[in-house]
Amino acid sequence: MFTLITGRTLEQGRNLEIGKFTKDYLDRVAICEINPEDLKKLGVESGSNVKVKTAYGEVVVKAVSSTLTSPGVVFIPMGPWANTVVNPDSQGSGMPTLKGIPCEIKPTTEPIPQIYDLLKKISDKTFAAKISSSSQNPVSGKEATYTNVVCCFCGCICDDIEVTVKNGKVTSVKNACAIGMAKLLNYDKERAYKPMVRKNGKLVEASLDEALEVAAKILVEAKYPLIYGWSSTSNEAMRIGVYLAELTGGVVDNTSVCCHGPTILGTQQAGVVKATLGQMKNRADLIVYWGCNPVYAHPRHTLRYSAMAKGRYVKGRKERKVVVVDVRPTPTSKVADMFIQVKPGMDYELITALRMAVKEHTIEAPMVAGVPREKILELADMLRSAKFGVIFLGMGLTMTVGKGRNLEEAIKLVQDLNEWTKFVLLAMRGHYNVAGTNEVIVWLTGYPYAVDFMLGYPRHNPGITSSTDVLIRGDVDAALIVASDPASHFPRKAVEHLAKIPTIVIDPRWSPTASLADVFIPAAYVGIECEGTVYRMDGVPLRAKKLVEPPPGILSDEEILGKLVEKVEALKLGR
Amino acid sequence: MEYLIKNGYVYDPLNNVKGEKMDVAIKDGKIVSSTELSKDAKVIDASGMVVMPGGIDIHSHIAGPKVSAGRIMRPEDHYKVYMRAILGVRRSGTGRTTPSTNLIGYKYARMGWTTVFEPATPPLETRHTHEELDDIPILDKGCFPLLDSNWFVLDYLQNKEYEKCAAFVGWIMDSVKGYAIKIVDPGVAEAWSLGMGVGLCLDDQIPNYNLTPREIIRGLCKVNRMLKLPHPIHVHCNRLGFPGNYTCTLDTMSAVSDFGLTQDSPVIHITHVQFTGYAGDSWATLASGGEEIAKYVNNHKHVSLDLGQIVFGDATTMTADAPFEFVLHHLAPGRWTSTDVEAEAAAGIVPFRYRKKNFVNTVQWCIGLEIALLVKDPWRIFPTTDHPNAGPFTRYPTVLSWLMSKKAREKMFEQVNKRGLRKTALPAIDREYDLYEIAIITRAAGAKTLGLKSKGHLGVGADADVAIYNLNPEKVDPSKDWEAFVKAFKRAAYTFKNGEMIVKDGEVLRHMYGETYYVKPKIPEDLLKTVTEDVKTKFKDWYSISFENYIIGDHELRAVKPIHVETALK
Repeated sequence: MFTLITGRTLEQGRNLEIGKFTKDYLDRVAICEINPEDLKKLGVESGSNVKVKTAYGEVVVKAVSSTLTSPGVVFIPMGPWANTVVNPDSQGSGMPTLKGIPCEIKPTTEPIPQIYDLLKKISDKTFAAKISSSSQNPVSGKEATYTNVVCCFCGCICDDIEVTVKNGKVTSVKNACAIGMAKLLNYDKERAYKPMVRKNGKLVEASLDEALEVAAKILVEAKYPLIYGWSSTSNEAMRIGVYLAELTGGVVDNTSVCCHGPTILGTQQAGVVKATLGQMKNRADLIVYWGCNPVYAHPRHTLRYSAMAKGRYVKGRKERKVVVVDVRPTPTSKVADMFIQVKPGMDYELITALRMAVKEHTIEAPMVAGVPREKILELADMLRSAKFGVIFLGMGLTMTVGKGRNLEEAIKLVQDLNEWTKFVLLAMRGHYNVAGTNEVIVWLTGYPYAVDFMLGYPRHNPGITSSTDVLIRGDVDAALIVASDPASHFPRKAVEHLAKIPTIVIDPRWSPTASLADVFIPAAYVGIECEGTVYRMDGVPLRAKKLVEPPPGILSDEEILGKLVEKVEALKLGR
Repeated sequence: MEYLIKNGYVYDPLNNVKGEKMDVAIKDGKIVSSTELSKDAKVIDASGMVVMPGGIDIHSHIAGPKVSAGRIMRPEDHYKVYMRAILGVRRSGTGRTTPSTNLIGYKYARMGWTTVFEPATPPLETRHTHEELDDIPILDKGCFPLLDSNWFVLDYLQNKEYEKCAAFVGWIMDSVKGYAIKIVDPGVAEAWSLGMGVGLCLDDQIPNYNLTPREIIRGLCKVNRMLKLPHPIHVHCNRLGFPGNYTCTLDTMSAVSDFGLTQDSPVIHITHVQFTGYAGDSWATLASGGEEIAKYVNNHKHVSLDLGQIVFGDATTMTADAPFEFVLHHLAPGRWTSTDVEAEAAAGIVPFRYRKKNFVNTVQWCIGLEIALLVKDPWRIFPTTDHPNAGPFTRYPTVLSWLMSKKAREKMFEQVNKRGLRKTALPAIDREYDLYEIAIITRAAGAKTLGLKSKGHLGVGADADVAIYNLNPEKVDPSKDWEAFVKAFKRAAYTFKNGEMIVKDGEVLRHMYGETYYVKPKIPEDLLKTVTEDVKTKFKDWYSISFENYIIGDHELRAVKPIHVETALK
C-alpha cells in the first residue's frame, strides 16, 4: 500500500505547452515516481511499466526511480493518467481529492495507454481531428523585439520577458523560464485553425457563424449548462462568461474549483493576511513554502519574488531563512535551510501544533504529523522571531484531507503570528489568470467561483455548485469550456459525464477536451495574439500585450464570446 | 431624446433655485432651454414632485481590490440580498454591505444618485479598481489614488523637493487615471509593513523616514495647490477609532490652516469625521468631540467634512488604515483580512455590527449627526456613511431624514443607549435641514468640491442627470413626515442619466454605463522627464513589475473623461 500524490513537474509543464499528444508528453507525464527502496521491494526496474490501482480506477504508467519522493509515497504528475486513479469525491468542498490517495502498485507487461486510449474508455465519440502544425497562410513581416512582455503561463506573470517576432511568429525569447519559453516558442503547435461542428459523430470544419449558431442552440436548449475554464484567458472574456451563465441559468466556474478554491473557503471562514510580491521581495527575511514546489511549478518565483530575490531592505538569499514543509523532498526543499517532512494528510495537525507552540501552549505529544515536537518548537520560534515572514501555500494543503480547513488553520496561524511580528501568506495561484477571473466573478456576482444562476440570480455552494460535482452527479446537461482542458485535469468520473453532454470548446489549442467537443472554435492566445487584462497570484493587475496577429479568421475569446452572446440573447428574446 | 419635465418643485442651489415651480428641459444628454425642444419632446408631469440634479457621492467604497476582498470574505452578506436578472432590462447581483457591481449602479440610481467616487485605491492595483468601476452600470465615477505612504512621495517630501513631488503626483494621476490625492493615516502603510502603526499620531516619526504624518499632509497639500487639482487633499485622519482622537482631527485641520489664507475653497477635506471625532480617554468614557470639531469648521473655511454617519445594523469596515483594522479585529473577534501593496499602501477589512443598545455605537451614531447639525455652512458638509464602513449607501434616505427631522431623531433616541446619548450634544439640537440644504449637501456641494462644472445643477449646459422624487413640498413637511421623505428618496419617481430615462417608479429600466473621470495635470516637459527618469531607475529595485506595465492606457477603460488641469508648475 502506498500513498499517491499528484502534482506539477517542470517537464510536465514544459511538455504540455509543446503538445499533449506528443510522445514527449506521454514520456514525462505517464510516469510514477517511486523511491528506490520501494522499487526494490516491488521488484520493479526503473523504466518498466507498473499498474497503479486505487479505489477509483487503475492505470498503467512507467515506473521512474526518484529520490524526490519518500518510502511509501509515490508521485504521478497531474494529467490524464493521474486522473484515472484520483478520488473524485470533493467531500462537499468542490475540490476533488488529488493528493493522499491510497494505492497499490504491481509490475505489469501491459502497455501505457495513449491519451486517445484513455478517452476511448470513457466515451464512444470519434476523437481524431486533423490538426495542422502551422497556419495555412504564412505571414510576412519584419523582425521586431518587444520588451516587458507579460508571460502568460503561471501565476507569476513575469513581465520582463523579451520576445522577438518575425514573419508573424515568435522566433526568440529571453528571460522566461523553461515553461514560459516552451509556451512562447510552441504555441502554434497542436492547433486547429478552423471552427468545427460534430456531424454524424465526426468533427467537420464549419464557418464561425455556423459553429456559433450550433453553440448558441446548445446553450439555450440546455436546462443547466456548465460554463467552465477561464483561468487561461483574459478578464474581458470572463465578464462575458458570467453573463452567459446568467442568460442561460447555468453554472459559471473557473479552475480554482480544483486548485485554490479551498484557500478561498478558508478565507470565507477566517479572512486572510497577505501582501503583494514586492513586499516579500523587499522585506521578507523568513520564507516558508508549505505544500508547494515553486522550482517546478513557478520556476522564476524564487528568483523574482521570494527566496533569491534582491529587495530594498533584504538584499538576497543570504539575508533570508527558507523553510519547506512537504510530504516528500522536492527540488524546492533542496534549496531550503530547513526541510520539514509532514505525514501525508496530516498538515492540519501540524499547523495546529504550530499555533499552539506560537501561543506557548504545551504540546504533549512527542511527535505530531511525523514531525518531532522539538522541530515544531524550533520552527515556531523561527516564525515568531522573523522581522517579516511569509508562508507561500500550495496544493499540498488544498488537495489533501481537510482541504479548506487546512487553509483556515494556516490563515489563523499567520493571524496569530501578527501578535508578535509582521507575517503574511500567499496562495501560489497556478494559471496566469485564475486570480483575475476569480475577481471578475466575485465583483459581478458576489461570489468568487462555483456560481449558479438557476434561479436567475447568483448562488454559491461549493460541493453542490462546483464543476466536478455538477458533472459527477450528472446535474449539468451541456458545457461550454473556455481556455481549459478538464478532460486532462478533472477526475475521470467527471470527464465521463462531460463526454456524454453536448460540449462547446473555445480554445487556442487542440486538446483532449476539444477532441470530445460537439462544437470547437479556435481562439487567439492572450498575451501573444491579443491583449487582455490578467492578475498575478497576488492580485496585481497587468495588461498582457499583443505581439503578433492571430491566424486569419481566428478571433480572441472576448470577440468570440461577444458573438455567441448576441446569438444567445436573440434566441432567448425571440422565445 | 427630448424630455420636458413640467411643473416640478426644482431645487438647484448652484443656480439659486429654491423649490420654485419650474420646467426642466432635456435634449441630447444636456439641460437646455425649453424653447429648444421640438414638438416630439416627451412630457414628464412632475407636478407635486421634487426635482433635483442627480445625487453626487464623494466618498463610497464601491470598487477595487479591498472591496472585492470584502466580498470574498463575506459570502453570507450575499445570500439574502439579491436582484434577479430581467432579460433586456437588468443584470443580476447580490450583497447587502458588499454589493456586486450591478447592484451598486442600480441601487444608487434608484435613489436618484448618478455620480459616485471611490475614495481609496492603491496605484499599483488601480487597473483593478477601474475594471470594477467599468462594471458598475449607470453612474459616472472616478477614484482617488492613495499617496501618503508611497515611497516616491515620501522620498520627495523628506528631501523637500515639492516641485518634483508635484510632478510625480501629476504623473500618477495621468498614469493610473486618478482624480484626487487620498491620504489615509499618513505613513501608516510603511509602519504596518513593520508590524507597527497602531495609533500613529500626527507628530510621530514614520519608520524608515525622517517624516511625520503632519509633514506628509502639509507636503501633499502644497503639492495639491501646485497642481491646482479640483478637489482638496482628501484626508482620513490619524488615530482613527481611538477614544480622544478628536484632538488629532483638530490638529490635522489646523496643520494646513496657513494654506487656507490664500484661497477661497477648502484646502483639506476630512473624511468620515465621525470616526475621528471621539472625546474621552477609553471606550468606557467615550464622548462626542463633535462640538469642538464643528466649532473649528465654523471658524475656518479652509476645511470641508464628510460624516461617515453610522447606520445601525450590519456593516463591513474596509479601509487603508490596516493597523486600525488589526485593532478592530481584537475588539470584534471574527474574520480579519489585511493586504499590503508594495511601496504604496495597505488595507484591512473586518465585518462589524452597530447595535442600538450599545453605548459606544450610540455615541458614534450621535457624533456624525451632531457635526452636521452644528456646522453652519452646508456647502462644506457631506452626508456619507463611508459605505460600507458605517453602513450601506442604501440607507442614505434614512440618514437624511435624521438631519431633516428632530422627531425622527427623537424616535431613535427612544431606541438607543441612554447613557451614550448623554455623552453628546445631539439631543439638545433643534436644527432641521430643509430640502434646499439637502440638495446642497447631496448634489451641489459635491459637484463644487470635485470641480465637476457640468454636474450638480440644472442650468442650461449641465449634464442631464436629473432625479425626480414623489414628494410634494407644499403638502408634506419632511420634519414631521420624515417617513414620506424616506419613501420618496428610496425609490425615485424618475432618474435621468445623460438625458436618458434610466429609472421609473423606483425600478431600473435599462442597463447602460457612464464615464470615468480622471485628471490630467499639465506638467512642464523637462520637469516630467527628470521625475520619470528618477522613477524608472528606482522602480526596478522597489517594485516587482516593470515600469512600462504600471501605466494604464485610456483604451483599457470603457469610457474615459479626462479633465485637463493647468497647474502652477513652470
